[in-house]
Amino acid sequence: MSEMFVRAISADEIAPGGMKTVEVDGNEIVICNCGGKFHAVRRRCGHMNAPLEMGTLDGKYLTCPMHCAQFDVESGQAISGPVPPDFGGESPSPIFGKYLQNIDVLMKHVRTESIRTYATKLENGWVSIAVTSL
Amino acid sequence: MNSKSRKKALCYFFEKVVRPLGFKFTPDAELMDFLLEQEMVLEGKHGVPFCPCQPLRHDRARDMQIVCPCIPFHRKHFAAIRRCWCGLFVHTDVLDPNTLPQLSPKEAGLE
Repeated sequence: MSEMFVRAISADEIAPGGMKTVEVDGNEIVICNCGGKFHAVRRRCGHMNAPLEMGTLDGKYLTCPMHCAQFDVESGQAISGPVPPDFGGESPSPIFGKYLQNIDVLMKHVRTESIRTYATKLENGWVSIAVTSL
Repeated sequence: MNSKSRKKALCYFFEKVVRPLGFKFTPDAELMDFLLEQEMVLEGKHGVPFCPCQPLRHDRARDMQIVCPCIPFHRKHFAAIRRCWCGLFVHTDVLDPNTLPQLSPKEAGLE
């Protein structure tokens, strides 16, 4: 297997602090502009596969839009799991409470995995991503 | 999940809030690490990093006032004692946090 860089997107398409999804060689990849430094990560959240480009990027920390799991886009490491539900001191309705109990049992086994990162290269105003080919 | 990375991320997020308010992290690295560790435990349990030295009252409005960094909610008191309650943050001009007196709001003349 060898790694080769594929031109993915023009650098000026993503403002600092922004993200954009591209598809390279069948891989869904989110390119993040961390203050002029570009990082590329797998598009799907390591918790429940939510599309990460819809989340928020603060520095090199990406927060998933679904359950707020956080990832370091530089290393791909999961730095925080999903945020537990908050009912603001009120108890949920009995039916919803029952549902939550069942969900909790199921979700207990769901782990937040780190996400894959891809090497990036900025050349002549273009961001290239390293993809692996056979 | 790596606790070292999480603490680093918390520092990054907190720094952006506390700097403009005139505070910085305590120079006591051991205390800082200990407090961030406790906040991580609280964050894992409740979803938000509550102040590790304050009790939760299960009253949302009050509990939200002790989410770290809680400086904006208690500015008068923290300005008087030049640190936050748990000591994770101190005024930017403080070099030795151990010399700071611990005063209640009443002792600080705020009540």
